Amino acid sequence: MIQITDIYKSFIVKDKKTRSKMKIEAVKGISLTVKPGEIYGLLGPNGAGKSTTLRMIAGLMQPDAGSIEVCGINSQREPERARATIGYLSTDISIYNRFTPRELLKLFGEFQGVEANVAERRGIHLLERLHMAEFADVKMEGFSGGQKQKVSIARALLHDPKVVIFDEPTTGLDVLTAKTVLDLLKIMKSEGRTVIVSTHVMPMVESTCDRIGIIFEGALHGDASPREVLDRWGVKTLDEVFFQLVADKERGVA
Amino acid sequence: MRGALLIVKKEFMELSKDRKTMFFTFVMPLILYPLIFSMMGKLGQNDEAQRVAKPSRVWLVDPSGLVAPVLGADGKTIQVVPKPEGDVKQAIRDQKLELAVEVDPKAAEKLARHETWTVKAVYDRSDDSSRLALDRVKKAMAAQDKIWVGERLQAIKASADLAVPTKVETEDAGGVGRAIGKALGSFLPYLLMIMMYSGAMQPGIYCTAGEKERGTLLSLLTTSIPRSQIIIGKLLYVFSIGIIVAVINLLSMSFSMSRLIAGEAAHAAQGAAAHPAMADLAALASPAVLGLSFLLIIPLGLFFANFIILGGIQARNTVEAGTALMPGVFVVVFLGVFSMAPGIEKMAFLPYVPVLNVSLAIRKLFSQQANYWEYAVALGMTIGLAALMTWVSTRMLNRESAIFKV
Repeated sequence: MIQITDIYKSFIVKDKKTRSKMKIEAVKGISLTVKPGEIYGLLGPNGAGKSTTLRMIAGLMQPDAGSIEVCGINSQREPERARATIGYLSTDISIYNRFTPRELLKLFGEFQGVEANVAERRGIHLLERLHMAEFADVKMEGFSGGQKQKVSIARALLHDPKVVIFDEPTTGLDVLTAKTVLDLLKIMKSEGRTVIVSTHVMPMVESTCDRIGIIFEGALHGDASPREVLDRWGVKTLDEVFFQLVADKERGVA
Repeated sequence: MRGALLIVKKEFMELSKDRKTMFFTFVMPLILYPLIFSMMGKLGQNDEAQRVAKPSRVWLVDPSGLVAPVLGADGKTIQVVPKPEGDVKQAIRDQKLELAVEVDPKAAEKLARHETWTVKAVYDRSDDSSRLALDRVKKAMAAQDKIWVGERLQAIKASADLAVPTKVETEDAGGVGRAIGKALGSFLPYLLMIMMYSGAMQPGIYCTAGEKERGTLLSLLTTSIPRSQIIIGKLLYVFSIGIIVAVINLLSMSFSMSRLIAGEAAHAAQGAAAHPAMADLAALASPAVLGLSFLLIIPLGLFFANFIILGGIQARNTVEAGTALMPGVFVVVFLGVFSMAPGIEKMAFLPYVPVLNVSLAIRKLFSQQANYWEYAVALGMTIGLAALMTWVSTRMLNRESAIFKV
């Protein structure tokens, strides 16, 4: 279970022209709860604060204010313990090209406290699920983007995490690979895991997510089922919700 | 600590996949030094043999005819040649001859009157063959002087010892080994420093800024290994590489040098069993000296590794890291060159200057002048400095701005 209460995060950036420092508020008072056996979709345009929110949940960043609990563990106070329960995947993360998937998974299993032989067995099982078992002993240098993403997914799930955080898991993937990833998300849901996903792909949200939250300029809008969100805004597609948010902002409403 | 060791394992595994880097880092020095030193030795020996075998070409101006028979006595070492065309000095510089000798025109009269007369020699100090020719002429003249002095003494019925009132006998208290030790001690710290820093720099950049650039660092940070252990793991890896590179280079170099010295000694003694310098050298490289030097190198290597990690982790990419760490090479070269300077061991403040005091301590260990207080200060300071840098590095990696700087 993920429990986020009123978190804030800002960054200090330097203006290259004026050389002055500016404070950018990336996340402004987000609160949400994701239960086990649920897929939560975090939507929003680029720079809205989705990745920052996910990084804070994963303990990679610390919120300026508010609290985050993952499986009852405060991720600010005990980030290592919290991370042990999380499987995190992001488009920012690349894999070690010099290794084979088997070597990588064994190593990351050990990093997560799983014994090498157990990690290897689990890793191969995950690769089978992702239709990658035949490439287990091939150096990853020549892998396609989709193949690398599948290995990354296996890496993220290797330690059997209770919470799964996928940041843009289908970006850059072909239709077939994207479907494999979405199927896996559904399997994880059925296994009772807590899943939170950020994405731009609206059809994926409608078919996969139980609840969604729309992040726009660091604030959360929505936090309901996709149908409820559409009804609340009185639109037919989630894209239209974005357009309305932008229009509201221009009118000074949002 | 388990997490740090796992990171070290991962880094070495990654390195082992890069055969080119493995070859150039670990195998190349083992091939390069023996090759260079054996080539140098062979070339030197051949050059020496050729120079010694060839008679020196000397243009002689000897109106009295006194010196000509002395120089041309055997014809094997000195060959009297006609006057070269043009300027004599230029001819010597052009290696058309090795030496020009001009004898006092009144030499015969002065010899008869028991007066001193001059033999003027023009040679090229920068040329080995010219210096050899001068030595040969000096030796020939000294031998002839002995005969003339002997004849004069005999004429007045005086003892042969009359012309030699004293004879200075010398004995080297330090031995050849100490002289070599002093020389070795002055440049060894420089070699160690430059090898440790430059050897660890590339792997250090690869595992810090390189990981950020390739986007793999984040995958490590998502694991349950604490960040402090990730940085310590990387630190241990960079430190190990620095030490391994320095040790491999030094071993290869000392093996090649000892073979070169042994070869030179055998060559000089024409097959003699052992050269005294070799025995002195063996005493110099005692386990205590080597062990104490190595003990000093460990914290110094850790200090360098910290410096590299700190620069690498702060950089956005490998290019930026390279630019940030390159000045370190110049600093290390400067420190190394400074530590080779003559007389620095007399500077009273030097034992309290970090890094340089390590050079000084090693220098004194090798020249058998070890000062254990200074050694302890150098060791303590370097350990303290390395620990401080480790603490700073760990804190730096905990900063979000360092991790997510893109």
